[in-house]
Amino acid sequence: MHVRVEDLTKRYGQVTALDGVSQTFPSGALTAVVGPSGCGKTTLLRCLAGFVAPDRGRLWMGDRDVTHTQPQSRDAAMVFQSYALWPHMTVFENLAFALRLRKVSRGDVGRRVREALDLVELDRVPGIEDRRPRQLSGGQQQRVALARAIVVRPQVLLLDEPLSNLDAKIRHRVRVEIRALQRRTGITAIYVTHDQEEAMSIADMVVVMEGGRVAQAGRPEEVYARPKSPFVAEFLGSTNVLAAVMDPDGRILPSAAGSLIFRAEDIQLASPREPAPAGSAWVDGEIVDVLFLGAGYRAYVRVGEEVIMADNRTPMPRGAVRAVIRLEKVFAFGRD
Amino acid sequence: MNATGLRAPNLRDRPRGLLALALRAALVAVLLGAIVGPLAGLVLWSVAERWHWPALLPQQVGLKYWARITQGDLLAALTRGVAIASVTTVAALVTAIPVSYGAARARLPLGPVLLMLFLLPQAFPQLPVFASAAVLFYRWNLAGTYAGVVLIHLVGGLVYAVWTMTAVFRAIGEDIEEAAINLGASVTRTFFRISLPLALPGVVASSILVFIYSLDEFTGTLLVGAPYVTTLPVYMYTASLGYELQIASVTALVLMVPGVLLLVLMERFLRAEYLAFFGRL
Amino acid sequence: MSAARPVEQVLWWLAAIPATMVIIVGFGLPLVQSLVASFTRDGVLTLANYELVYRLYRQDVVYTVMVAAAGLVLTFGIGIPLSGYLRLRHSQTAEFLLKVPLFVPFVVVGHAMRIFLAPRGTLPSLLHALGLVSPDTTLAISEGWIGLPIALAWKHLALVVLLLMGAFRGVGEEYLEAARGFGAGTFRQIWAVLVPMAAPSIGLAAVLSLTSMLASFSIPLMMTKGSGPQMLMIDLYHRYGLHGDFGTASAIGVVSYLLAAGAAYYYLKGVMRQ
Repeated sequence: MHVRVEDLTKRYGQVTALDGVSQTFPSGALTAVVGPSGCGKTTLLRCLAGFVAPDRGRLWMGDRDVTHTQPQSRDAAMVFQSYALWPHMTVFENLAFALRLRKVSRGDVGRRVREALDLVELDRVPGIEDRRPRQLSGGQQQRVALARAIVVRPQVLLLDEPLSNLDAKIRHRVRVEIRALQRRTGITAIYVTHDQEEAMSIADMVVVMEGGRVAQAGRPEEVYARPKSPFVAEFLGSTNVLAAVMDPDGRILPSAAGSLIFRAEDIQLASPREPAPAGSAWVDGEIVDVLFLGAGYRAYVRVGEEVIMADNRTPMPRGAVRAVIRLEKVFAFGRD
Repeated sequence: MNATGLRAPNLRDRPRGLLALALRAALVAVLLGAIVGPLAGLVLWSVAERWHWPALLPQQVGLKYWARITQGDLLAALTRGVAIASVTTVAALVTAIPVSYGAARARLPLGPVLLMLFLLPQAFPQLPVFASAAVLFYRWNLAGTYAGVVLIHLVGGLVYAVWTMTAVFRAIGEDIEEAAINLGASVTRTFFRISLPLALPGVVASSILVFIYSLDEFTGTLLVGAPYVTTLPVYMYTASLGYELQIASVTALVLMVPGVLLLVLMERFLRAEYLAFFGRL
Repeated sequence: MSAARPVEQVLWWLAAIPATMVIIVGFGLPLVQSLVASFTRDGVLTLANYELVYRLYRQDVVYTVMVAAAGLVLTFGIGIPLSGYLRLRHSQTAEFLLKVPLFVPFVVVGHAMRIFLAPRGTLPSLLHALGLVSPDTTLAISEGWIGLPIALAWKHLALVVLLLMGAFRGVGEEYLEAARGFGAGTFRQIWAVLVPMAAPSIGLAAVLSLTSMLASFSIPLMMTKGSGPQMLMIDLYHRYGLHGDFGTASAIGVVSYLLAAGAAYYYLKGVMRQ
């Protein structure tokens, strides 16, 4: 079931959280809504869930206009950032809660709970059903929250920064599992996060938001390789932003008239004595520091008044250097 | 105005639909009746010069009974009550502040245990204890004296001052005092020039709580003070015993005035924790 | 802050003496005396006072417990749904109204309820004027035993709602949203989420209320009918005031301590935990 919002607007006093947002979330896909704090992504999700009523605009789930429908009656289940597992209930009771409200028979409740736990791979943990949330690890709690959402077999799954409370290592693992789960069940999932890397790695479609508006939406590779605005270009990836323009030879010159944006991994560092290859932009500078990142090295190159990052497999020596970037990897924008 | 038109209500805060609105209105109406009803009865009785069953309202109303406030025994009881409450408040603050400060600054060993001590009179049934106290006071010639009544008021009311002031002193960071001491001030000077002024809102709050407790105190005053030292609550009881229901109602309403004032003040100034103490008044 | 030097410690102890003396003289000594007096008659240690209590007042013990229990049921039966509703739907007017009884002294409550619920009181005359209820029903309320629990509940509801609102507001909104999202209506949000999560506070509020109701004196004193079963504190007052029998009065007092003892212990434990 696809989800669509049209002209969605929400204001809190002087602050406009959502400014006429229109977007379609494709059926059966995992769409990530990503952006910095305050961009409106959480408000958008809560509107979809029904916990926030928009001031203007409409919401559809499938062909149904659910703008004024209660959260209970929308076919959308939410995974909360804090998990919101009821502490006084066992894992089983947490999962059974919604089923019992829907008058599912006793036997079926047990079966479906086990099914859901199996889907999130918690069925292997002995006695998991009788444990209380506080007896579980963060990762386990997250999976229970996920299981609780899918046990009702919703048409839409809403995830509100589901991994932000987990350690970095676990985050990487769990996000892949969430994606696998979504693929297996074919559920339409809308996934809010502030982590652009997380969004791009698992999403079928990425919606980048800024200041209550959609800055750009599309496939991750698409949005990454062809950002339409300085904000999107800068937000995705490890990016350098220079107040500069390029001359016809590709030389980068400082200027207040434009922004040049390019990624750290797209920079080649060469000797200043060698001319840059055709089809590249280039600028001279000096390596002032080199950091070890584990998978490679990051050089900090002073270019004029600014410092840019350049990633490389092997360490680079200090001293004068020429930064070379292929033209198609440079995003040029005029400054307003 | 766009195509969708109407503004959707915020689902969390406002009632949905006419039914919910009606339910809410009904709730407020019922509460209004249940809470104001008995109090309205007091008001009616206080102005009822002639009232026969089964009339809903008195046949004749007047302020005859209210005039009694300005005369004789009611006024005397009121004055006495205010005087006793004032003395009790001052005594409570003077005795409570050292304990509270010591407990708040952890300078008083077993401070927390001591704080619990002051709670006990509120946790135990008051009448048996006060009756026993009356026996003791009689032996010590304290029965029927102002001193005795103040003492019995302190027993129950001290806890308000102690607990409030402890919370207040705790809230004043120790670093403020340490800064003064660091600059050369003595502990005493620091206390009187810095800590106490900063604790002034708490002092005001404590004073109000103790004052109202003392003004409204009934059981202890009845046992220890009667028949020589009577305060307004005891006067009201005597009036109602004698079936002078109008006088009793007037007295009851007068008794409520400080509390109502406090309710209004509280909505603006006092914090909810102080409020919780009131349930034991 | 490190503990004070020995000299300072002594000084602080001295400063705490006046307050402590008040409690010892005004509460501690009387308490001990009443305990001793309950076992004393005519100068000898005996159980005679307790025998008298058993003989004369055992029905009143039952009555007191019954009235307090009824008051408790009324208070929480109304208080929990009310607080739950206010937590979820908000009404400042209702919350303000519910604070009013906090500031009405116990004696005034007693007097107000007396004239409100009396056979010819304001409530019956109102119901009569509205033609709502037959005179027999109103008489039943006035003459029956339910008047006292109603008065007790009226006064205690304010404190209970205050405590419950504090506890319910302490329950994170996300737990309620999750319940709502999965289909729970107002009723279920209250009973399946709010009440279990606020259980410790509800317990404390119940204990506070029960102790207070068991030991209530002012309200029953104003509403007493003179005949029939009485609250224990009224019996105590008559025993001491009218008969001058301090020994038996103390025995009644000890019985009331025991009734409130478990509750008082829990009260202190609960407060200490904070």
